[in-house]
Parts: sequence; C-alpha cells; structure tokens
Amino acid sequence: MIRSLLRQGEMAVLLAVALVILPLLLLLPPWLPMLVLCMLALRAVLLRRQAVLPSLYLLLPLLLLAIGGLWLSLNTLVGREGGAALLILLLGFKSFESRQQRDWQVLLALGFFLAAMPLLFDQSPLAAVWLAISLLALTWAMLILSGEMVEGSLRSAMQALSLSLPLMLVLFVVMPRLPGPLWSMPHDQHVAGTGLSDSMEPGSISQLVQQQEPAFSVVFAERVPAVSEMYWRIMIFDDFDGRRWQNVRGLSSETVRWQGGRLVSYSLTGKPSKARLPLLEYTVTAPAGGVLEPGNLFKLARDGDELFRFQAESLLAGHYRTVLSRADQDFYRHLPPGNPASRQLALQWRAQGGDGAGFIRTALQYFRLGGFAYTLQPPLLNSEDGIDQFMFSSRQGFCEHYASALAFMARAAGMPARIVTGYQGGQFNPVGQFWQVRSSDAHAWVEIWLAESGEWLRVDPTAAVAPDRVAQGVSQSIPAMQPQLPVLGRSMPGWLLRVQQNWQAAGFAWQQWVVGYDAGKQLNLYRWLGLGDQVDSGTVLRAVLIGGSLACLPLLLLWRRRPSVPPLQQGRHRLVQALAAMGIVVVDSDGPLDILNKARRLPEPDYRQLKALLKEYAAMRYRQPAAPQQARQWLRRVKAFRPGRQ
Amino acid sequence: MQSLSLAYRQLNTLILGKPRAIRLALACLIARGHLLIEDLPGVGKTTLAHGLAAVLGLHYQRVQFTSDLLPADILGVNIYQRETASFRFHQGPVFSQLLLADEINRASPKVQSALLEAMEERQVSIDGESHPLPTPFFVIATQNPSEQLGTFPLPESQLDRFLMRISLGYPPPEAERALLLGQDRRTLLADIGATLTAADLLMLQNKAAALTVTPDLADYVLALLQATRQERSYLTGLSPRAGLALLAAARAWALLEGRDHVLPEDVKAVFPHVAGHRLGLSGDALGSLNKLLDHVAIP
Repeated sequence: MIRSLLRQGEMAVLLAVALVILPLLLLLPPWLPMLVLCMLALRAVLLRRQAVLPSLYLLLPLLLLAIGGLWLSLNTLVGREGGAALLILLLGFKSFESRQQRDWQVLLALGFFLAAMPLLFDQSPLAAVWLAISLLALTWAMLILSGEMVEGSLRSAMQALSLSLPLMLVLFVVMPRLPGPLWSMPHDQHVAGTGLSDSMEPGSISQLVQQQEPAFSVVFAERVPAVSEMYWRIMIFDDFDGRRWQNVRGLSSETVRWQGGRLVSYSLTGKPSKARLPLLEYTVTAPAGGVLEPGNLFKLARDGDELFRFQAESLLAGHYRTVLSRADQDFYRHLPPGNPASRQLALQWRAQGGDGAGFIRTALQYFRLGGFAYTLQPPLLNSEDGIDQFMFSSRQGFCEHYASALAFMARAAGMPARIVTGYQGGQFNPVGQFWQVRSSDAHAWVEIWLAESGEWLRVDPTAAVAPDRVAQGVSQSIPAMQPQLPVLGRSMPGWLLRVQQNWQAAGFAWQQWVVGYDAGKQLNLYRWLGLGDQVDSGTVLRAVLIGGSLACLPLLLLWRRRPSVPPLQQGRHRLVQALAAMGIVVVDSDGPLDILNKARRLPEPDYRQLKALLKEYAAMRYRQPAAPQQARQWLRRVKAFRPGRQ
Repeated sequence: MQSLSLAYRQLNTLILGKPRAIRLALACLIARGHLLIEDLPGVGKTTLAHGLAAVLGLHYQRVQFTSDLLPADILGVNIYQRETASFRFHQGPVFSQLLLADEINRASPKVQSALLEAMEERQVSIDGESHPLPTPFFVIATQNPSEQLGTFPLPESQLDRFLMRISLGYPPPEAERALLLGQDRRTLLADIGATLTAADLLMLQNKAAALTVTPDLADYVLALLQATRQERSYLTGLSPRAGLALLAAARAWALLEGRDHVLPEDVKAVFPHVAGHRLGLSGDALGSLNKLLDHVAIP
C-alpha cells in the first residue's frame, strides 16, 4: 500500500512524547497537560498537511500567555510541580519550531528527560511500568526518526531496551546512594498530607477513618500479637479546653519501670508525618534513627516525608509504671469548668468503685450498658457542656467521643488521665506476609494513671461499646453505617480481597527492594559480594567495570547475528529516506527506474550518483543476484549518499 | 537491434503520435503473441497492421469479418481436382505470416473459434489432414467496442488467445495536424520497405525469451497476480497462463528498451495491456489496473 515515508519519524516523535505526558494529567493541574497534548496534535496536523509553521512573533506572546496562566494556577515556576509544568509547556512550543532533523532529536531528548518526571510524584510500581512504556515509545520513535523501517521497528526498540536492561540493573545496584532518596523534593504547600492532626476534636478522626490509604506496614519477626493487642501509639493529648484535646505539656522526661509482658519484635515501614511514626505498645528501646519520647512515643531525628523503616521490640501487655509528681498529677487532673452533670456522675462512680480499678470497671460497665451506639456520623455536640450532652442525651459517637468522655470522667473523679491517638489493629496480607495498617484504622483511647500501682493503664472505652471495632476493624463494627463507608471499607468479596492483597504485596516488595534500596542495603550487598567494606569510588569503579562488561555480553551475541533486513532492502529504504528529505516522495510500488525518474530535479552530481547506485541496485536484484559481500559494499556507498549537501 | 529501432522509427512516421502503442505492438509480436486492437474506426488500426507487416517484411493478408463468413473462407478448403481425381487443399487467408482480422466480433462464433484454434495450434486441420501454418504467424485482430448491434463479442476464454489488447485513441493535436498536412498514408505505406526479415524476427523472439528473470522479479509478478485475485471488483483473477504471458510480454518490452534483464518497470509497462482483456475490463477501465500497480509494493 502507498505509505508516505515522508514525516514518519516526526510523527513517531510526537506520538511518543504525547504518551510521556499522559500521566502528568493526574499529577499537574489537568488543563496544562491537556493544552500541551492539543498542541502536539495540532503540530501533527500541520506536519501531515506540510503546512507553514506559525511565526515566532505569534509563538512568543502565546508562550508568555501560557506561562502567565501557569503562574496563576500554581503560584510558582520552580519546584517539583512548577518545574514539570514549565518543562512540558516548553516542550509543546518547541514542537512548533521543529523543522530540521536536529530539532526533532532535541524534542526526543526532552521526552527522555520528561519520562522520569512522574517519578518525582509517585514511586509506585505503576509509575515504573509507565516509565518502561514511555522509554519503549521514545526508543521506537528514535529508531523511526533515524530512518529505520517501520516493519519490525517495535521489536528492534524492545531489543535495544532489553539489551540496556543488564547495565541499568548493574548501575542501580552499584551507584553510591545519597543519604535520602534522590527525589526528596521540597513538599509543595498546597498538597495536603494525611495523618493524625495535632489536636483532637470531634470529627477529626472519623474523617480519617473514611479514607483507605495505607498508613504503614509491619512485619512481625516470630510471634504475632492478636489484633486486639495491636495499639500503635503516635500522639498523646493531655490538655482539654472544653471542646478540644491538645498536647500542651510535652513531658521532658519520665522514668519508666517496665514489668511483665511478652516480647514481640517487628519492623515497620511508613511515611512519617511531622517526624512521627507509630510504635507498638509498649516499645522499650528507641529504634535507630530517632528517640523515644516520654509517653512511649517515637520521634525521628530528621523531618522529611520519605519512607522510613525501623526495627523495634515491644512488651505486649506489659505494665507501664512511672512516678508522677504531685504537680504532674495535678496537671493530668486539670479540667475547664462546665459539664456539671458528668462531674457529678464521675464522683458517684468513684464512690461506687472504691479504688481506681473499680472506677474503671464501673465506667466501662456504664458505656457497655448505657445505650451507647458506635457511629461515624454522630449528631453535632455544640453546647458548652459537650460531654454532658454526649453522656446523657446523644449517646452516639466514635472512638474520639468515647475517649474524650472517659478521660474527662476520670479527671473529674480526681484521677490523672490522658488521651493517646494512633492506630488500632491492621489487616494481614497473606501474599506478602505483612500487616497493612490504613488510615481507617486510626483510633483514640485513654490512659489512666492508677495511684495504687503507679501505672499508666490503657482503657479503651470504644472496645466496651463496640467490641468488634477492636477485634475486627471498623467495617465490622458499624453495619448500619456501611453505605456511607467508601466501597473499600466494606467487607469485600473474597476474590477482590485476594486481588487487593496481591497488589499490596507487590507494592510492599517494591518499597522494600527498589525504593528502599539504600546505602545500608547496598553496603550489605557489597560485603556479601566481597567487594569491600565500604562504598568508595574504588569499589564503585570496580563494580561498574565488572558489572558493565557482564552486561555487555548480550551485545556480542547480537553482533554475531546477521541483520534481519537484507542489505539491498535496507539500502533502498535509505535512498528513499534521503530523497524524502529532498521533498521527493517515493512509494513502495516504485521500481529503480521510477525512482530515478522522480529524482530528475536533483542537482546534477547527486543525480549522477543516484543513477549509478540505482543501476547497481537493479543489476543486483534483477540481473545477477548479488553476493552478500557485494550487497553490503553497495549499502555502504548508499549510506555515504547525502543529496542536497554541497 | 539497429534494424529493430529503424522499424520502430518508420512505424512512428506512419502512425503519428502513438509511440507507446507502436512499441507495445512490436513487443507483442516479439513475444510471439497475437494482438487485439480495440478502437473506433479511422484511428489507424489497419494502417498499423499494414505498417507492421511492411517493416517486418512479412507476408500479409487481410480478412474483413462479416456475419456470413464461413470457417472455410478463412482456413481454406479441399477442392476436387478432376484431372488427378483427387482433392487438393486450397489454402485460405490464414496461411500467411501476418493475418489482419478486421472487425473480428462481426463474425459468427463458429468462424471466431476456427480462427482462434488456428492461432493457438499454429496449424489447420481439415478433413483429418493437418496443414501447418507458416512461421512466424501473427494475428492482428481489430474490433470496434462501441458498435454492438449484430456483433458476437469474443468470450473471455478466447480473448485469452491474444497476448495483448491495445487501443490507439485519437492522436494528440500536433500529430493530427501533421497528419492533415502530410502525405496520404497509403502512399507512405508503399514507400516503407522491410527493415527486418522473418529470420531476424525469429532471432529477436529467441533473444527475448532468453532474457534474465530473477526470483525477485518473479516475486513481483506473483504479487501482481495475487492482487488481481484478491481484488473484489474483478470477476476472476489472472490465471497462471496469464502470468506466463505477462512475463513474456515484459521480456519483449525489456528487449525493446535495450536491456538484457527484466525490471519491474517492464512488467508495469505491459501489465494493463496483458491483464485488461483477461479480467474482462473494457478498454476505458484500465485506470483500475494502474491503481493496482500503484498499490502493489515491489518486494
């Protein structure tokens, strides 16, 4: 069939570059990639019609206009988003001044650079898959642009990419790591982070619960605790202003005496929020990379939003004994005025229960039997006496309501109490053999200090109201509310659950071995390979040399093989390309004489040269089938033929 | 070869402005094929046939076909000889080196098939006796496509006997002007002398048949045949015999171009004229064949 060979390579470049830009639709304000895609499409139309390109005097104001729009929508031209946006905009305009082969090559090079752009936003396996697709498309376009035949070009591109794969792996393994990930970019202001907030007021956790993003993942070494024992501590709130719980004090130090419990060791991977990562109750020694704060909380030495992984050991069901000074006790008993009915009830409980333990028993009994309901959509508590309203009239709430109420009651009864927030439970992924904890597992509970034993005792009132919440997770505990939970929060059919688990497992492995391949892992590998005890330039050079030469082995195999397209056909194609560059369109149904006939308007020396080449070609194909050697020599002469160059 | 180009030049002075048709006619004869000229009256069909006979130095006879023509009128007849009391065969006009069958579609199918059989067998059998035809033996038939009343169109199977079908068409204006101003064609014809002998022609025919055809070229011919077989608008595709005819015609064309091997361009030059009548296309419908040529890639 007639196929215009003219402009094939340019079309391929436009197509590949458009493919590269596609994922940015999700990562940048969508109008911008859309605009650039439209520009590329327009350029393709102009190319097809061989129309005149718009002049610089039109392009320049347009570019300024577009940059202005970009500034209005992002407020910046630098940083991750601003930079990416500006680059693709420039790419779109560059296509409109691409005329020569060299311009198109520049466009292609820009495409290779842009292909890595989505990695700055997302380092998931999906992003990697898209990167591979982009690279394939770009390599293919490069082949077509350099005059390769379309038939089999995709295969050649795949071959080229798979040949470079070993080298890529070697470089990935041996290149020295920076202290953080390469793309530890400044966080963009308008991107909201997820996680627990600094303070707790009604509704702050229930919003979190309706989200399904993974918060962190955990691998237990040997013993796995029961789900109801998994309390992940992140924050402590010790001050109540009548509506909101906050962390005011931040104890500078505490002396803790741990007692009893079973030792469980685990490793946790997660993105820190405000330099905090969860700890399993109660973690005795500070994991590497951070410090153990009073209240058994983990604070990282360095702030940042990249993934962090640590190993720790915790005492499950241990006793958290510490001495509180009188001032401290007063602090943990402090309450603002108001809520008289609740205060009275608290004193009543205290009198009934006798000691602290008795008080807690009575309180939990009250929550269990007092007609309380567990719901994500509680009525609004807006009066001055919110706790009274909750305890005596609405009686509907979520963990934060119960925790808040119980802490208030304990303080009202004269017992030091505080609220702990974090996560509770998790979901086991049997494929990847790890536990996934999600935003929906966010939780709040109470710690009450018992003067008798000098111990912070964990009390979870939510467990009393909705035991399933603690034993099985949110979705099991609120059947009535299920339609309001997003689809993933409901109990899933088995197959969907398996798909989800497989996907999570893949993501976990990816995080562990690819994104999480850091200097430490690298050093371990070096030791294991016997390359030395430290990653210095010498070892790197040695490794690159050894690995690089190993990676080049497949190239040797390829060199030994004959090219798949016979030299005569290759040469004809090259001639056709060379003529196309001169504006002479040759089609597949043209024989050598037809080609010569079409090329009559070539300058005289070029025409003579072409005539000789074509005469040889005709003779080798239609007179005396040529020896391979002869055909290759001819191909070499064809490659030297460059019409229009004086 | 020189005498061949001289013959070509002489024919061009006789039929003005039709070099391609003349070249095709010559190629047809060199490829040992019979020629069908399909055109309107008065564009020079007969003159071309005369001219060909004259330059090739061939013994030439002309038969005007009519509906009451009988096979014996063409082939000949056994006549009783009283003197010897035996039958003697009187050769018909077919016993000539070049037979011009004018308006072949006016004759009855019986006569047509008698002639076409003679063309294929190159001999005539009458009363159980075979009479070989002279060599070389050509038939140039003409027919007028626009007058259909009282004609017997040749069936496709018989059209196949003709290697090529060409049409002359109106001459270009300058040529026609020269024709109007120039000498009478009949006088010119009388002036044309034979530039080739029958022996020369046989030699040329042998030479053409020996031209090189490489596998690559055969692949191209195959691709063309395949394309006609896959094209929906044709009733049938080209037969293997048509493929051989195409190759023979391309060889003759290459010889006329002065080459010792066949190029795809030679195949393309003769293809519409070899394939047109075999695919049942009218003389005006050759555009579809040219389109086919544009679409079939040279392997």
